[in-house]
Amino acid sequence: MGTGAVAVAAPDRAKQRRAGGHLWKKALLHFSLCFVMGFFTGFAPSSSSSWKSAAATPQHHPPHRPGDRLAASRVAVDARATLSPPAEAADALSAGATVDLGDDEEDAAQRRLLIVVTTTRSGPGERRRRRGELLRLAHTLRLVRPPVVWVVVEPAADAPATAEVLRGTGVMYRHLAFKPEDNFTTADAEAHVQRNAALAHVEKHRLAGVLHFADAAGVYDVGFFEQIRQIEAFGTWPVATMSAGEKKVVVEGPLCSASKVVGWFSRDFNDGTTRSVTYNTEADLNPAGAAGTRAHTIDVSGFAFNSSILWDPERWGRPTSLPDTSQDSIKFVQEVLLEDRAKLKGIPSDCSQIMVWQYSVPSSR
Amino acid sequence: MGKGSARALALALAVILACSDVAVVTAQETERIEGSAGDVLEDDPVGRLKVYVYDLPSKYNKKLLKKDPRCLNHMFAAEIFMHRFLLSSAVRTFNPEEADWFYTPVYTTCDLTPKGLPLPFKSPRMMRSAIQLIATNWPYWNRSEGADHFFVTPHDFGACFHYQEEKAIGRGILPLLQRATLVQTFGQKNHVCLKDGSITIPPYAPPQKMQTHLIPPDTPRSIFVYFRGLFYDTGNDPEGGYYARGARASVWENFKNNPLFDISTDHPPTYYEDMQRSVFCLCPLGWAPWSPRLVEAVVFGCIPVIIADDIVLPFADAIPWEEIGVFVAEDDVPQLDSILTSIPTDVVLRKQRLLANPSMKQAMLFPQPAQPGDAFHQILNGLARKLPHGSNVFLKPGERALNWTAGPPGDLKPW
Amino acid sequence: MKSLLPRSELRRSSAAAVRSSAGGAAGGDGAVADGGGAGPRAPASSTFWFLLHALCCLISLFLGFRFSRLLFFMLFSTTALYHSTSSSSSAAVLRATTTTTTTTTTTTTTTNTFTLSFAAANTPPSGPANRTALEAAAEADKAAASGNPQSHVVVGRHGIRIRPWPHPDPVEVMRAHGIMERVQEEQRRWYGVKEPRQVLAVTPTYSRAFQALHLTGLLHSLRNVPYPLTWIVVEAGGTTNATASMLARSGLTVVHIPFPDRMPTEWADRHATENRMRLHALRVIRERKMDGVVVFADDSNVHSMELFDEVQKVQWMGAVSIGILAHTGTADQLRLSEEDKQNMPLPVQGPACNSSGHLAGWHTFNSLPFSGKTATVVGEAAPVLPRGLEWAGFVLNSRMLWKEAEGKPDWVKDLDAVGENGEEIENPLTLLNDPSSVEPLGNCGKKVLLWWLRVEARADSKFPQGWVIEPPLEVVVPAKRTPWPETTPELPSELLDDKQKLEDRHLSRGNKSSQPRGTTKRKGDPQGQDN
Repeated sequence: MGTGAVAVAAPDRAKQRRAGGHLWKKALLHFSLCFVMGFFTGFAPSSSSSWKSAAATPQHHPPHRPGDRLAASRVAVDARATLSPPAEAADALSAGATVDLGDDEEDAAQRRLLIVVTTTRSGPGERRRRRGELLRLAHTLRLVRPPVVWVVVEPAADAPATAEVLRGTGVMYRHLAFKPEDNFTTADAEAHVQRNAALAHVEKHRLAGVLHFADAAGVYDVGFFEQIRQIEAFGTWPVATMSAGEKKVVVEGPLCSASKVVGWFSRDFNDGTTRSVTYNTEADLNPAGAAGTRAHTIDVSGFAFNSSILWDPERWGRPTSLPDTSQDSIKFVQEVLLEDRAKLKGIPSDCSQIMVWQYSVPSSR
Repeated sequence: MGKGSARALALALAVILACSDVAVVTAQETERIEGSAGDVLEDDPVGRLKVYVYDLPSKYNKKLLKKDPRCLNHMFAAEIFMHRFLLSSAVRTFNPEEADWFYTPVYTTCDLTPKGLPLPFKSPRMMRSAIQLIATNWPYWNRSEGADHFFVTPHDFGACFHYQEEKAIGRGILPLLQRATLVQTFGQKNHVCLKDGSITIPPYAPPQKMQTHLIPPDTPRSIFVYFRGLFYDTGNDPEGGYYARGARASVWENFKNNPLFDISTDHPPTYYEDMQRSVFCLCPLGWAPWSPRLVEAVVFGCIPVIIADDIVLPFADAIPWEEIGVFVAEDDVPQLDSILTSIPTDVVLRKQRLLANPSMKQAMLFPQPAQPGDAFHQILNGLARKLPHGSNVFLKPGERALNWTAGPPGDLKPW
Repeated sequence: MKSLLPRSELRRSSAAAVRSSAGGAAGGDGAVADGGGAGPRAPASSTFWFLLHALCCLISLFLGFRFSRLLFFMLFSTTALYHSTSSSSSAAVLRATTTTTTTTTTTTTTTNTFTLSFAAANTPPSGPANRTALEAAAEADKAAASGNPQSHVVVGRHGIRIRPWPHPDPVEVMRAHGIMERVQEEQRRWYGVKEPRQVLAVTPTYSRAFQALHLTGLLHSLRNVPYPLTWIVVEAGGTTNATASMLARSGLTVVHIPFPDRMPTEWADRHATENRMRLHALRVIRERKMDGVVVFADDSNVHSMELFDEVQKVQWMGAVSIGILAHTGTADQLRLSEEDKQNMPLPVQGPACNSSGHLAGWHTFNSLPFSGKTATVVGEAAPVLPRGLEWAGFVLNSRMLWKEAEGKPDWVKDLDAVGENGEEIENPLTLLNDPSSVEPLGNCGKKVLLWWLRVEARADSKFPQGWVIEPPLEVVVPAKRTPWPETTPELPSELLDDKQKLEDRHLSRGNKSSQPRGTTKRKGDPQGQDN
């Protein structure tokens, strides 16, 4: 490469010398400057889209090699040039009983991948309930427009039985059989390890999408999943928690103003109390003020985030070295979520519609 | 579009400028695999040929198996099951004079490492010893020097008897087997380890085990692409690029982040079930072009995506691989997603319909006991189709074709 | 990088750029007049020199650009995209790659993590490893050269082809989903029921705290049913807008029927009322002569899709097995040892078969461990258990309800003769004269096809209407800090925190007394550092 540049420049230089000594020096300077400039412009952009188009284009028209390959694959590649689906496929899609795929591809292409992570608890009662609950969540996810990937984390011993339920649902799921190394003393500790296992999977595979931890015991409105697709970085919403056998309905979540999170609230509808924390806009810039808000944690049922934070933290302005994401990813995410409030989106825009319900059973402790 | 192609052009230019000694090579020429309708699968070989089974001392077969019963379970086990099948088969004859084919029951791959991997180092000497034995005890070998004999050699590179391709190519097919018909799993066009007239068979996959993992055929197929297996063989190929000619590594690097590609190195207990809920199953080459995935994909009705240039597929004259599978050139692996998603849905459905055909599945398996149309019968069909023997099979009196002293000196030592 | 233009345009535009920059330089310098500055010569030649200069500048620029791209390209693909046949060149490429990788990874850390990870995976960081790689390549090449010329297999190291665009094309992803959807549809066509009957799902419901939770779950399940379906929803205490709007959003064919009685708060009464509501629905089916298979889908139950396949098989009346998800709760803890709890299988209620596959009896729920510990009032903190045989475990051909239907068996009672005098219909077996004719479904009842669950809050629990939190939210904020929040006065952070602490303490005092011990799902506690 370097030799190429010199070779081109050489005759030019010779001519310039005749014109005057300082001239060719100057010319050479120009050339090298240009070279350096070109060199750096080459590095600078690397926006994935431009890369993509540059590299993808040749594939649209593959060179027809002598001894053309097997018809199936070759035809397939050629067909790529036409971006519209085959007519009969389109018909079938619109006729599809469950998932609405009939919308045009352009719209579909805007849709982010949803990564729904469901952890399981191994308490005796919960294990018995697990299949039914997973089934209910699966039915909801089956109605969400693709692309959706459901990551189910489960102790390896229970996995084959559950797999039977899951595979009947038709949801694209990944079943992470997880080998508990020690007996967990609390359900929280177990959930924590399972979540990290799921995040490790996402990290290893560099799955890019909106990630949410969906509790199988919770109930989601289908529309909810379309809402969280809009999340660019982080999103949060109100969650209703009801207690079985008690007089207790609590809604907790963000206080929002035009999708911007301005605080947090918790409201008990039965004793009528509401507690809230609002952000002081000035404190935002003040590390000491932010510290106050940092102390409260956000439950996993109440947020979703862009999974690229796990494997591309630099994109989010975070040094790679600081948090060891492979160790405790979920904590990392929870911290990032509360620190980077500017990127936090309230869902829906005024955070008033409840689309997630959970219930707790008093005896499950 | 314009800018893209311009850039690509410039890129290519730059590459040529930079390393002018790099020759840009287009992929090798390939031919279409001969395919035909699946009705050949239904053929019954009984009455079309007679096979004489040499009675060898048990040290060539049964004793080896007794020493290591694991030989019954690995993917080379076809040599054992073929022997068992022939012993009780209707095509077997006890009169060697009326036999069309002679079979030498020798278990050359039944020498396993503690981990269960077959070692081929003793195989050449063992094979040589067996051939010496039959050549001295019976007159039939010398009459044709093996041209009417068949051998089951299901090792990685067949009768080349080595698991590393370079070494296998260096060795070539065992000189004593130059005239024999080889029944082997290895199949790659224009390869020294695949001679003309060989019969390529599927690797052995445990039929009972697969049977127990069958799930209802209406289980919705919800995985687009499925693969479980190695991407890098770091133990044997630490720097990558040798194993699977880089194709598996390429699959991982390009598609690990694609939600449609359920690919991993973990082997889950639900492996067989997951194949049955997948639309496409990747069957990339490994150290050799074939793998048990071919069998598993066909049995479980998952469209095999065959990534192995110039592969010769099992029973390619009876199974319409082109109709049921998708062939992707090793060079095209980075475009795998585009290739698969642009297959017209009708074609996908058609492939799946063909895969649902039970005769196709049957032909891939070595069941115990044998069933009509299974892989045993397909092997016999293949042998029957070579009959009657041509004039070149039998040697003239005094004529000699084999060189008994050819090959590496190590192979000439007694077994 | 303005290469969004075709190459010719790119050249032109950068030529302009070069020209202007050259002009600028000349201006600063002062010594050279016009760009290239071959002043005294003829204008033609001056233009020529200038153009030549510009062209060379441009070439340098272009080469520099390409050079950096090449580096990039190599980083991405190691030996990628093109593999060489000749032995020397493959080694050369390899060498070039390894050196560029080691020198540039440090400078390009910001460009792309993809590159880095790949470099790490394939280029062992230590020098000796690189050397061995080269040696191995050379060896391989030798082997290939000495190999049989008949084989045109390239033995040796191959490039690992990695495309420079890292992520899947969303359009292709959607197309793949389209293919899968089609494949699944085709599977249903091949293996599914050929002429499916309509499913008539009967659901008794009423407005309460858990209604949205339960009904949403059921609604999603029903939407997944691959057969024509009519959902008959009977609502106690008359139809409400909340229920109606949920049903409307489901997109299903719904018959929403009001039921005059309010739902009582005692479980025993609620069961009886629900039975009467189901019977009411059956009468509607009879009146309207609705044709299909009746399924009793209670709003809190979970149904597997297999159930709906199975019910297609029913001739007159069928029974399926139900898994009972009684949250066994405190009773469990009292009466069962830890080991028993672990091993206790899911309780199942359903038909039992004899060896010939005919109904032999019923598996019933063993309520012995719960005796005296079950809930009597809806929303009581105690297990709720099924009473006798649950309706949910039965399916029937709607024609057996009709006044007249072809082939209607004589062992079916006329619906008018049942429950007219207000007596409770415990289960659908009451509709029959001969309960032995019930067909066991789901592999003779061996397969659990739905899960029965009863969880309710206390009947007097309040919940937001339509689950919308009415704005403006009654936010408790210190009086001086209104209006909220934009005009919040600047406060030192300590002061702010103190205020919040005060505020939280005040609130939590009122709150904690009513806080039960059992809420494991406490969410984002907004109490700040009070905790």
